[in-house]
Amino acid sequence: MRLAIQSGWCHSIALCTAASFFWCSGAARAEDASSWKDIETKYIFGFTTGSGIGLEGEKEFTVDSVGRLGKRDGHYAATETKYEFEFTPTQFIQIEFGALGSTHHIGGVSDLDDRSQFALSGAFAEFRYLAIERTSSNPLAVTLAVEPTVRRIDETSGERVRNFEFETTINADLELMRNRLFAGFNLLYEPEVTRTAMGDTLREAKFGGSAALSLRIASNIVVGGEVWYLRHYDSIGLSAFTGDAVMLGPTLYIAFTPKMFMTAAWNTQVGGREIGNPVSLNLAEFQRNRARLKFAVEF
Amino acid sequence: MLILMKKLTLAAICAIAMLPVFPSWAQQATEVQVSYSNGQFQPSELRAPADKPITFRVKNLDAKAMEFESKSLRVEKVVAAKSEGVINVRALKPGRYEFYDDFNEKARGALVVQ
Repeated sequence: MRLAIQSGWCHSIALCTAASFFWCSGAARAEDASSWKDIETKYIFGFTTGSGIGLEGEKEFTVDSVGRLGKRDGHYAATETKYEFEFTPTQFIQIEFGALGSTHHIGGVSDLDDRSQFALSGAFAEFRYLAIERTSSNPLAVTLAVEPTVRRIDETSGERVRNFEFETTINADLELMRNRLFAGFNLLYEPEVTRTAMGDTLREAKFGGSAALSLRIASNIVVGGEVWYLRHYDSIGLSAFTGDAVMLGPTLYIAFTPKMFMTAAWNTQVGGREIGNPVSLNLAEFQRNRARLKFAVEF
Repeated sequence: MLILMKKLTLAAICAIAMLPVFPSWAQQATEVQVSYSNGQFQPSELRAPADKPITFRVKNLDAKAMEFESKSLRVEKVVAAKSEGVINVRALKPGRYEFYDDFNEKARGALVVQ
């Protein structure tokens, strides 16, 4: 019964997204995009990051929350929030840094201890370099990014650990229709090392990519959808494959003012496998659903 | 392994610091001038050669501040009332680069690089 409800709920989301996309396509055609200002593409694709690096001299404060919901059994809800300051010192580089806060509400999940906690969980920095810039004759833009992160709380279990992660991404986007329709692509490699409270050292990595499509339906509103394919390894060198997952869902971007915006995204796992487990979906290394909500103010 | 990861981070930061941020700054910049009065850019279309850095001189003749901004040029600068702002832009590829006053939706202009 629970599976049926979950499945129906997923189909509802997919149908709503598709309906919204087509409805919005019609609404968007009615407006003249040529009068719109160029848009910053970094945040219009949900979990997929666009190539934008901001404007030279621009500063931004951001609160960026990612929630991970649902495991195979029991109750699982975890969030990680970035309290982030970002600035663009040159026309090619963007730098971000900040603190991490996390919450874990876990009950009756196999292999995880029950807990309900909030913690300041770590810190991160991100360096982004615009390698290929978009012009009126070249619709493609590509940014290279590295994001070292240290954590004292494990992302999944909420346990006290010493974790070091080094996320490396290629963020690309294509302007398919001037000021209107954009495609985004990410390639991700995320190695991490964790020292547990028991003194064990765990090495793992995520590798994957995403594709997203976003339609600007008004000068300040962008809607779309994205799909992620992620693989998990119990090694940094991508040699010990443990499972993969496909995540799919809608995205939304709204600019409230020229200097203040929000982005939201919802991904549901629609496919996946755990090596050595015949049950569908990978809920050991990934979650059933994930959500992102981000608010930013530029100054 | 943690030490290795930390070294990797340091190496990445150093590598980014050495990237060609402004490879063309050694070249002579082309200067373009634009005035802002009655909420409009004059002229509204500017021209500049490709592959040379550009210096914008923005004269705000109005009695209130304006913010010269462009997503494609990747610059923004607030220019106070009755004053001049100078904005340096990297060498650009041929194309059309729009700019505007972020405080006034209707004030638009473009730089055509050839």
